[in-house]
Amino acid sequence: MVDEEEQKEYRWETGYEKTWEAIKEDDDGFLEASVADIIQRAKRKRQAQKQGNSKLGMMRHLYVILDCSDSMSSQDLKPTRLLCTVKIMENFIEEFFDQNPISQMGIIIMHNKRAEKISDLAGNARKHIKAINNLKQTSLIGEPSLQNSLEMALRALKLLPSHASREILVVMGSLTTCDPGDINTTILNLKSEGVRCSVIGLAAEVHVCRRLANETGGLYNVILDDCHFKDLLYQQVDPPPAALTLESNLIKMGFPHQMSVEGTEEPLTMCMCHVDSTDEGSKLNTGGYYCPQCYSKYCELPVECRACGLTLVSAPHLARSYHHLFPAANYDEITYENQTVICFACQKNFSETDKQVYRCPNCTKIFCINCDIFVHDILHTCPGCATNLSTFQIAHNTTQ
Amino acid sequence: MTTSSEDVLLQVPQVRYKKGDGTLFLMDQRLIWMVENRDTVAVSHSYADIKSQKISPEGKVKVQLQVVLHNGVSSTFHFTNRNGLQAQLADRDKVKEMLQTLLPKFKRKVDRELEEKNKLLSSNPALLQLYKDLVMTEVVTSEEFWVQHASQYTQKQKQQPQDIGVSGAFLADIKPQTDGCNGLKYNITPDIIECIFKTYPAVKKKYVENVPTKLSESQFWTKFFQSHYFHRDRKYAESKDLFTECGKIDDQEMKRDIQTGVDDPLVNITEFEDKTLDEGYGVANEKTNVTSGTVSQAMIKRFNQHSIMVLKATKKQENSEAEAKNVPKQNGNVSEEKPDDGHVAKKQRIQSKITYEDLDSPSASSSGGPSLSLSKVERYLHGPMPDSNVEQLNPNEASSVLRGVLQETRQWQSRHPSTSLVTPAAAVGALGELSPGGALMRGFQEQSLAQLVPADIENEVRNLYLALCELLSHFWKCFPPSTPTMEQKAVKMHEALHRYHTAKLKPFEDKLIRELSPLSHHLTKHLNQLLNAAYQKFSNWQKIKNR
Repeated sequence: MVDEEEQKEYRWETGYEKTWEAIKEDDDGFLEASVADIIQRAKRKRQAQKQGNSKLGMMRHLYVILDCSDSMSSQDLKPTRLLCTVKIMENFIEEFFDQNPISQMGIIIMHNKRAEKISDLAGNARKHIKAINNLKQTSLIGEPSLQNSLEMALRALKLLPSHASREILVVMGSLTTCDPGDINTTILNLKSEGVRCSVIGLAAEVHVCRRLANETGGLYNVILDDCHFKDLLYQQVDPPPAALTLESNLIKMGFPHQMSVEGTEEPLTMCMCHVDSTDEGSKLNTGGYYCPQCYSKYCELPVECRACGLTLVSAPHLARSYHHLFPAANYDEITYENQTVICFACQKNFSETDKQVYRCPNCTKIFCINCDIFVHDILHTCPGCATNLSTFQIAHNTTQ
Repeated sequence: MTTSSEDVLLQVPQVRYKKGDGTLFLMDQRLIWMVENRDTVAVSHSYADIKSQKISPEGKVKVQLQVVLHNGVSSTFHFTNRNGLQAQLADRDKVKEMLQTLLPKFKRKVDRELEEKNKLLSSNPALLQLYKDLVMTEVVTSEEFWVQHASQYTQKQKQQPQDIGVSGAFLADIKPQTDGCNGLKYNITPDIIECIFKTYPAVKKKYVENVPTKLSESQFWTKFFQSHYFHRDRKYAESKDLFTECGKIDDQEMKRDIQTGVDDPLVNITEFEDKTLDEGYGVANEKTNVTSGTVSQAMIKRFNQHSIMVLKATKKQENSEAEAKNVPKQNGNVSEEKPDDGHVAKKQRIQSKITYEDLDSPSASSSGGPSLSLSKVERYLHGPMPDSNVEQLNPNEASSVLRGVLQETRQWQSRHPSTSLVTPAAAVGALGELSPGGALMRGFQEQSLAQLVPADIENEVRNLYLALCELLSHFWKCFPPSTPTMEQKAVKMHEALHRYHTAKLKPFEDKLIRELSPLSHHLTKHLNQLLNAAYQKFSNWQKIKNR
């Protein structure tokens, strides 16, 4: 009976407009699946392209340039673009230093046609996160100036030694940029200094950003929603291929140890990392890492010694960078034909819903999709290969 | 001191100072006053020391001039010309005007630097502390301090303020507010003023001519906004305004631009049309008559002019820089190269419009850069292993070992029940070792010691560390010394470290021994270690050098 009534009336006459009919749903009734699908497919494509045996720039010096202009107060990303960006950036910073322990990062904001450096190049995640959190209070006025901020970053990056990889990441929310001069000269300068600029656009594609990314060999993408934003940002966590201007040098590093002489007590010492900070000055205590060259003490590693300039790291920091050079082999996707009953990694039973399973080319063990993602994103070692001595070594020999 | 080597610029007799009559002389470097009939100079102030001058107010009987020095001392001169008040005033005004011209020349440099330094010191407590520790105890001289240690602070001040671009809407953003009685209020910031000057250089010229001599700043801007130059009508020919010239200059520029035209072979401005449908859709090509003088035409003209000027404002700097670079290199070859460049550029542009790299087949360039060549991969995967300690078991030995292990494990079945574990004495012993202060927990003893240290001693230690860190960073930067200047600097820093040791560290240690004897050794042990490491490095370097 209801249907007959609907057929007789025109749409403009009805009291109710059936707006829900205009939205499409997928099988399970979720709207976000389409964007997530895109993200997933892009991830798999990137994973497939990753191969070992390429030179990477591991000692990365990255400047993050954030747009703090008018357009960042727009509410298309909840609650505002700026707050969403700040939240995602905090996680990004932690992940970045996790995966690249010997790298350094600096932060610049674009504000009122000027650029302002809010955090210098340093290897300490906490300082940067504090600086980013303070951004929540800045007033968003004016237009951004891409040229001023690129010049500011370039001035600092120019002074770095040639074995460091120089990168800039721009998060651009505005569609315009107001520059004092010709930005093409800035782009040429960046190219000649070997700085790799990537841009993440929050609004739409802008020709200048596309040129910047293409000329310097970086990536340019525009986000679809906040999950996509997170994914694009995390793409920058992996070390990029080494620039052609990157020289291979021997780098002097110190491996500090706890100083303890048998028989005597440990002396009370102060650390050099907090000696001039106003809110938490150094305290006298016994633990800490002593620089092997000048004996100054530091609370945590990795750090650059203030007195003698030596880079201090610990062996696990370097080892953590290994998996970029020797990645786990990509699994082949095969249809499930009852090869095994359980997944080798998580021991879960395969059921009818698992149409695709994944097989490692080296150890030929079968894994489910969740383990595949886990192994390649987080673990970076194939459990099948690692538990089998012979295949572990063979794998890395064949990648040569 | 004698007046013969200096020029006397002005001599004023009958000037009293501190109840004595005398003559005031203004020389080229300083100001002196001599007592009457004597040759000695009683008061002498060099212009560089004088901060300011003051004169007594108009109505007063006593005509006086006071000179205030930087250090607070002031000298008052009383003009007592016997010819009367007018003559006294005339004398004083002469002196005043002369001083007014002379003082600025001497004033600037010394004053400003000191003020900057004071400001830096007061705003950075860390820097202040360093200054106190290093300069006041003569470990490092004052100049060295400002050049080396405070350099990052002084440079922050000297950083050039950034150039900003001109946004197209900067005038529209001013947003006048009505103030109730038929007036408008315009808020302009220094940024907007700079944009106006960049875009309209004629206005800048007028500003420089008129402010502050003829008009005050606010008057100038009021006139600017009131003028027809700014407003739409632009029928400026009639009214006499400060800015009518600007309008004429702008018009001339526009005409010139139109004549030079656009250089680009792919752009043909005269053929631009205002149609929404393309050719072939049945709309005939109509040439509209150009009707001049209507309001809309004037508005369009103003928009175009504004846009042209905004674009020019950014191009100006680039051109001047580019010209400065090109002039020394190219002489006569410029004109020859141009037509070729034009051709190539045109081809490139047409090419770029018809190719899309997304549609191209994925090229093999995604191999991602240079490849890694590693000689022995296993070395990266295992730690350093001594080669020869691997025992080789032959198969017989291996199987006998295996049998032995199997037998052992079978015996595990007949173990003691799990109630009796370790002897009580051994358990208590282990607990003791693992509690704070035991043999296995070395650190805690000292932690509690740390709490015994009073806060002011801790602060002093921290300041010592801060100063030492600063000195050490400069010291270590000199190694390895590649130039003679670096070697000299290394020697100087070494001496500075020794001076620091004697001037600051030793007294502190003595003080500690007197006051808190148990801790004295602990607190400064590390500082001594730092210094010893530096001394060691220096002596090693000396040894190598002298070999």
